[in-house]
Amino acid sequence: MTTSPAWRVLRGLLLCGAAVVTIFPFYAMVILSLKPAEAIRFPRSLLPGGLTTEAYHAVIGGQGLWGWVLNTLLYSVISVVAVLLLASMAGYAFAKKRFRGREAMFWSFLSMVMVPYHVTMIPTFILLSKAGGVDTYWGLILPTLANAQAVFLMRQFILNLPDELFEAARLDGCGEWRLFLTMVLPLCKPVLATLGTFVFLWHWNDFLWPLIVMQGREHWTLTVGIASLQQEQVPLNVVLAGSVVALVPIFCAYLVGQRYFTEGVTMSGIKG
Amino acid sequence: MTATIERGAPAGPTGPPARPRARRSPLQRREARFGLLFALPCFLLFLAFRFGPGLAGVALAFFHYEVGDTPRFTGLANLSRLLNDDLFWKALRVTVVYSVIAVPLSLVCSLAMALLVRKKFRTVTFFRSVFFLPVVTSLVLAATVFTWIFSSDGPWTRITGPVLGWLGGYDGSWLASSVWVLPAMALVSVWSRFGYGMLIILARLQDLPAELEEAALTDGASSWQRFRYIVLPQLKPALFFLAVIETTGSFQVFDLVYVMTGGGPAHGSYTLVFQLVDQGFKFFDLGYASAIGLALFVMTIVVAVIQRLTLGRES
Repeated sequence: MTTSPAWRVLRGLLLCGAAVVTIFPFYAMVILSLKPAEAIRFPRSLLPGGLTTEAYHAVIGGQGLWGWVLNTLLYSVISVVAVLLLASMAGYAFAKKRFRGREAMFWSFLSMVMVPYHVTMIPTFILLSKAGGVDTYWGLILPTLANAQAVFLMRQFILNLPDELFEAARLDGCGEWRLFLTMVLPLCKPVLATLGTFVFLWHWNDFLWPLIVMQGREHWTLTVGIASLQQEQVPLNVVLAGSVVALVPIFCAYLVGQRYFTEGVTMSGIKG
Repeated sequence: MTATIERGAPAGPTGPPARPRARRSPLQRREARFGLLFALPCFLLFLAFRFGPGLAGVALAFFHYEVGDTPRFTGLANLSRLLNDDLFWKALRVTVVYSVIAVPLSLVCSLAMALLVRKKFRTVTFFRSVFFLPVVTSLVLAATVFTWIFSSDGPWTRITGPVLGWLGGYDGSWLASSVWVLPAMALVSVWSRFGYGMLIILARLQDLPAELEEAALTDGASSWQRFRYIVLPQLKPALFFLAVIETTGSFQVFDLVYVMTGGGPAHGSYTLVFQLVDQGFKFFDLGYASAIGLALFVMTIVVAVIQRLTLGRES
């Protein structure tokens, strides 16, 4: 089908307008983080003049920011590795193995899809506080590893891998563990990359769970830390400088692995 | 987490059916053993942190339980307290109003943007990645700057202030007005979510066969007619999927409220999940918080059923 010139111009205008609206908050965030606290008043504040890095000195200097970065990294990276391993093991079992209880297990996963996360959150917190998991890394990470969507996704992908391949490997005397590590995992590389970016993003941006579990200031993740800066009447330029610091890694990752981000998010849904 | 399954997932395992146990060879027994071994770690985690807590969360709604206290069965006391709690009804109304503004707006924006970037042209990938950027951005971080945009010093107030001053219900800035705070938050949520919907619809658009539209074009159908009678009906499953997850997602809004308003002004943005967290982790009344969770669960199911019946009927 052809595109008429008039439509092309209109489309260009609409797209540019939408892009400006989409980018504007990012621009405002960066430029305001570079302004002195008292100069943050629209419209003059959005012009690039009188810039200073004082907010960055403040946020990097005394607010425990690096500790929060480290906590967030630990939370995200450990979760990604663990979820990928556990979900691919379970996905492989559900897709290619026959064993008693398989249907029951699978249906119990499915049944929880409609239950809001907040219903399970309170008992999980009680369980953790009884087990001494509050304010610990394992308490933060362990409950989030029960990721039913990841298992569905892995199972779906592994179902399409040819059985003959595994049969042949078994006939050649390949053990189950070696088969899983040297055949299943490498074959799953594309879906693992996609799922990995989704899980990483979800944990990096997660807010409510870290807010509840990690109560000591030094245990906070970035989202919890930045939200608390906002609450503590810290000057806006400092809060925004913190936000910029927290955004940079995600942006860099997005620029490099855009395809995985879009695929991961469309395939698995994202925290609402 | 908003629970979703990828499109087209079958409802259950489609692997080979289980065989009678008696005829199992050693090889099959080994296979079964390893299958169980591989599925077990995930399943145990699931039992401990999803399935068990899910059941416990429903049960807890019928108990009086405060942190450090022993749980006491109180039957329907929490639920009747809920029904007589003005703040709960307020939170319910706030949540519903917020969703009613945010979800349709988000769907319309997603659809419009998907149609705009549907065809390939030179800068199309640039636009697609720009529109997806907010989706990968943490809502907490986005909310820090949106708090300024909607503050009395911010551009949004300066631009829309005069109009609203004339309309009424306006008090210095949108976030300070109990009438306009929900539209403000809904706009932020649309900003952060439309790229996701755009991508879902785009994926569906690219799967559509071109023949139908070409045939309609030769028959002289206008572009509106082609959209209305050919494209839109085929988009129904994608729109249904989006409507469900956007609605359940906006029922659970928390990050935005926490950062932008703290539930105010005058409980104008006090949502259900905000009340749940308030009751559970500020007043430590975990039984009552679970009752609110149960209400949320019921709402989610009701909405899914309604949307299934209306939007999903023909698909």
